[in-house]
Amino acid sequence: MLKKIQFLLCMCIVQCSFSQEVEFGKISKEELLEKSYSKDESANAVVLYKNKNTYFNSSSGVVSLVTQVHERIKIYNKEGFDYATKTINLYKSRSDKERVSKIKAYTYNLEGSKIVKTELDKDQIFDNEYSYNYDQVKFTLPNVKEGSVIEFKYDIKSPFYWNIDEYRFQYDIPIKKLEAQIRTPKGFKFNQIQKGYIRFHPSQTQKTDHRLGMTVDILTYTLADVPALKEENLVNNINNYRAGVMFELVSIEFTGQKPKYFSKTWGDVAKTIGNTDDYKKQLDKTKSFDETLDDVIADKLDNVEKMKSIFKYVKDNINWNGIDGKYFYNGIKKTLKEKKGNVADINLTLVAMLRYAGLNANPLVISTKENLVPFFPTVDRLNYVLAYVVINNKQYFLDATDEFSDINLLPIKDYNGEGILVNNNKMVWKKVGIKRPEPAIGQYVISANLSEEGAIEGSLKSRFKNHNAYKFRQSFKDADLDAFITEREKVFENIEISNYEAKNTDDYNGYVSESFEFYKESGADVIDNKIYIQPLLFLKLVENPFKLDKREYPIDFGHPLEDHYIVNITIPEGYTLESSPKPIVVKIPNNLGEFKYLPKVVGNKILLSAVFEIKDEIMYADSYLFLKEFFNQIINKEAEQIVLTKV
Amino acid sequence: MRLNKLAYILLLLVSIQGFSQKNLYSSLTIPDSLRQAANAVIRLNETNISIESQRELTIIQKRIVTVLNEKGNFAVEAYSGYDKYFKIKKIEAKVYDKTGNEIKKFRKKDFVDHSAVDGGTLYSDSRVLFMNYTPIAYPYTVEFLCEVETSSTASIPSWRPLNYYYVSVVKDVYSLKDNANLGLRFKEKNLDKFNVQKTNTPTSLNYTLENTKLIKPEVLSPSFAEFTPQVLVAVENFHFYGVDGKAKNWLEFGNWINNSLLAGRDIVTEETKEHIIKITSGIEDPIERAKKVFEYVQNNTRYISVQVGIGGVQPIPALEVDQLKYGDCKGLTNYTQSLLKLADVSSYYTIVQAGSQNRVDLEEDFASLAQGNHIILAIPDDDDILWLDCTSQIHPFNFIGDFTDNRNVLVIKPDSSEIVKTKIYPDSLNYQSTLADIKLNSDGSIEAKIERGTKGTQYDSRFPLERQADKDIIEYYKEHWGYVNNLEVAKYSFDNDKSKIEFKEFINIQANNYASLNGDRLLFKPNAFNKNTFIPDRYRNRKRSLDIQRGYLDEDSFTFIIPEGYQIEALPNNVSIKNKFGEYKFEMITNEKTISYHRKLLIKNGKYPSNEYNEYRDFRKKIAKGDNLKIVLKSVK
Repeated sequence: MLKKIQFLLCMCIVQCSFSQEVEFGKISKEELLEKSYSKDESANAVVLYKNKNTYFNSSSGVVSLVTQVHERIKIYNKEGFDYATKTINLYKSRSDKERVSKIKAYTYNLEGSKIVKTELDKDQIFDNEYSYNYDQVKFTLPNVKEGSVIEFKYDIKSPFYWNIDEYRFQYDIPIKKLEAQIRTPKGFKFNQIQKGYIRFHPSQTQKTDHRLGMTVDILTYTLADVPALKEENLVNNINNYRAGVMFELVSIEFTGQKPKYFSKTWGDVAKTIGNTDDYKKQLDKTKSFDETLDDVIADKLDNVEKMKSIFKYVKDNINWNGIDGKYFYNGIKKTLKEKKGNVADINLTLVAMLRYAGLNANPLVISTKENLVPFFPTVDRLNYVLAYVVINNKQYFLDATDEFSDINLLPIKDYNGEGILVNNNKMVWKKVGIKRPEPAIGQYVISANLSEEGAIEGSLKSRFKNHNAYKFRQSFKDADLDAFITEREKVFENIEISNYEAKNTDDYNGYVSESFEFYKESGADVIDNKIYIQPLLFLKLVENPFKLDKREYPIDFGHPLEDHYIVNITIPEGYTLESSPKPIVVKIPNNLGEFKYLPKVVGNKILLSAVFEIKDEIMYADSYLFLKEFFNQIINKEAEQIVLTKV
Repeated sequence: MRLNKLAYILLLLVSIQGFSQKNLYSSLTIPDSLRQAANAVIRLNETNISIESQRELTIIQKRIVTVLNEKGNFAVEAYSGYDKYFKIKKIEAKVYDKTGNEIKKFRKKDFVDHSAVDGGTLYSDSRVLFMNYTPIAYPYTVEFLCEVETSSTASIPSWRPLNYYYVSVVKDVYSLKDNANLGLRFKEKNLDKFNVQKTNTPTSLNYTLENTKLIKPEVLSPSFAEFTPQVLVAVENFHFYGVDGKAKNWLEFGNWINNSLLAGRDIVTEETKEHIIKITSGIEDPIERAKKVFEYVQNNTRYISVQVGIGGVQPIPALEVDQLKYGDCKGLTNYTQSLLKLADVSSYYTIVQAGSQNRVDLEEDFASLAQGNHIILAIPDDDDILWLDCTSQIHPFNFIGDFTDNRNVLVIKPDSSEIVKTKIYPDSLNYQSTLADIKLNSDGSIEAKIERGTKGTQYDSRFPLERQADKDIIEYYKEHWGYVNNLEVAKYSFDNDKSKIEFKEFINIQANNYASLNGDRLLFKPNAFNKNTFIPDRYRNRKRSLDIQRGYLDEDSFTFIIPEGYQIEALPNNVSIKNKFGEYKFEMITNEKTISYHRKLLIKNGKYPSNEYNEYRDFRKKIAKGDNLKIVLKSVK
């Protein structure tokens, strides 16, 4: 009985997939007649069908990975023409390279009631040695018009069989139908992890691959009507939300052979990385360090002080070559000699030096924001390493690649969830959450005089801390001061700045302070015998950063925000207060943000204190409307005027 | 003793020479005046060009650049392009630290080899070798040596010693020898205002620029090429990618292009030919026939750039475009011209230097292949010329916008090629009119019906809206009127009149809190939908002339309906300013229920001396101020 059901089920699946098969070259008139995509009228083009099929191949003992791609795209209008051009990137490493073959491509058009097909000419396929690591094959379809259907297929053969590219199931145009299959020999265990907001379930089967002479596991994905992935601002990395599957080799197990394990858990990942030479042998080698390092820590008794000096020493003496990496590019010795290296060269050297100084320092391997969130235990998809120090149970996170980063003040890209601690000495391999960034602080103090004509003259003194200071330092660095001041004048509603000064901009810790005097001719509105003034002057918010009605993906501010304002304006003689905006306190539910605005007039002075806070750097889409309204209320409040009347 | 003395002198000589050479490698020897505010200093840039024959040219470059900070890295320029006809014989570089000690050496094999294809190009066979160096400390100095050999004598590098802002030049030397006597021609520009020495003979050029302080960018100023020294160079008898040529002026040059590059490339398939004849037959007016052909091209082709060998200047045959249905500017223009010929309409292949930012003319009195970067098509219409950009599938017939307007171009005609100026869009015809009926409510919210029309260059920036997705259109309005907080678009529609070249938008919007409530008063800005608050940067000392490349005219009429129970307490005074830069005025007409606001803003194109910059800035300040003025309504209760 059971067997029969299984058989029926099996039949059903086979039949389904059989009846759904899309044959290359069989284009229907309906497809050509289609004017737009009913589920998304704004689509300029749509993927009618995509099939991706990956399997292992073995010839004369050489294993390779073959991926067959078949794609059919409908082009609705001229804006969709870009999808008629295909770029295939082919990775290469020394003599090993991915190769593409069997490219076939056609364009179909309806002329009258006749389907006319145009083939892509072989000499319109362009091979290009694009760069050191990539070759590129590019082609664009001939005879493409509004309404055309294009179709192409090709095979990619890769010698890098342990590395299966991400399967992307979502594009910036919708997909009507997608099928993907991956066949892996039974002994090769791959983890498959789904991502994105769209749910899908692969079917799993097995069969005998006669060419390989082995049993293969088959995963088949079938998706229909996948919506387009649309960009939004302040998204950490849109690819985190793109539907797809990622694969990671977990183990190779063949009968009669000792199984080889890769990563199953984050602990395994840490151990795998920990077992590489870079992490195992190099970090406790101290030969490369000469007396210079001893001098750096000589008179430092306190461990925290030692850490600070070594951090500074590495920052000052080793430059980042712009390349990420969790493994050495140069190695410690060469890095110190050449004074530059990749991320691992710098931060692992930092770890080794900290250890040399007797500190509890270890590498923390991470994936940066532009490199996706690691959704599953993976070695390959970690691209970066930090130094992690614990002193008296306090955690310190260090990244010495950036000129203006500090201890526990990392470049924003580093704050991507958790890192993988590789502590070989204590045999600890686990996940560690990266300490969240402190709020970026801005403190502004204005004192000014208002004239009867509405001109404002005064001074602004500001202080910036944490990522606000970090950003200020970056923009101030190497800038021509005149041009920088002009830029500030523009940011502050065209005030005229004099006696400009910025302090502590070259250092990487502590406050940056900025001060200047300003003049603004039309700082307030003078209408009849009344003066209308917005007390926050040129520091007010005028545009809502969130204007759309809907939000799909979480908002990433990078870090919490905290701004404090104190304004003190002397009003002209002979004027009295007529009306003043009411103080308010606005909050985003769940204490995600707060705005306090407390204006008052005392004697001949307008006094305002205001605080603006975003308390969590990540806000989910369900808070979006609150956030939008929060900014809206701020803008409205700050636009309100104090009205002064001539006595 | 004598020997000793000689040895001493020799030694002295050597050490002096050693010192002077090392002098350039050390950052410490840069004079303060050149160092101040600089991101990099070019210590020496020496270009030696020698022409051995019509098909043999070598360029030897030696470049020593001191980089003072991160922003100066780009000035190193340790790279060279190459392809099949442009070969790198030698390339190497040395890096020196602050005091002039060598710290790194790059041999040819250390240079990174990369394709030189840009994002917009499907394929190009040009490549580049570049030095990939991560600075370990600033300042540092790079000495770069490069020797290339090419068979092309058609585009000889010109001399342009100043190329960047914030970069000072100690010395730049350019020398050229025409050993093959090919008929050297050159044109000098802006040399007199700079410290330039020259010694020229009929077959050689020598220019030196010394000790030139950095230039800082200024808004609304002439482009770099307009005021910095330049020498353009060409030879009369040249060779280009397998083709010989001879030209000493645009007429001959046009003939060469016509005969060597264009001739015989105008054949299309029989099928297309019949189709073109069919769609144009019976139409009297050649311009109407041209419109049909242009429409056909727009609906059947698209822009794809493929650059191989001489393909950089020669169009692919019309037949190929006919089959592929795509091409680059050359291919599509030649194709359109070929089809027009079938429709019995004459048209001319035209070389232009395209770009909206800066208008660049072809030099009227100096012909060379190095000028121009785009191809358009000229159609004579009595005394007038109509212009087509065949790379666009959406622009109206005879509309080129600010991409190729108002500049000298080479129109290629059999035996009568000439320099002609493209269409000028007069200031007042770059026009926008905005009408709005606005209902203001007592809670400060507004509901408005807006009708906006654009023409001329303003048309160009608006009409692509109609092809965008709904979400993007809504987002566009929200950003465009970002100063109207809470703006919601209720509905919109468009009317694109391609024959009149006029675009109309009809938009209904609403916005909460447009007017701010202050006690029993409502304050709002009458200029709700065309606020112009641009004020050019303030300079303590403006150096270069004021250059307003294009003008425009905006006219606005907004009528507000006053909410029940409110009356006007105060209105801004009407403003009317008229000066050489343009005109700004607004006036308000009121009755019990409504306020009508009428505004006009004309900005004229023009060039003015630097001392008039502040005057212009003041004008813009007045406009910004005027556009921010408010009306006060008071509750009558």
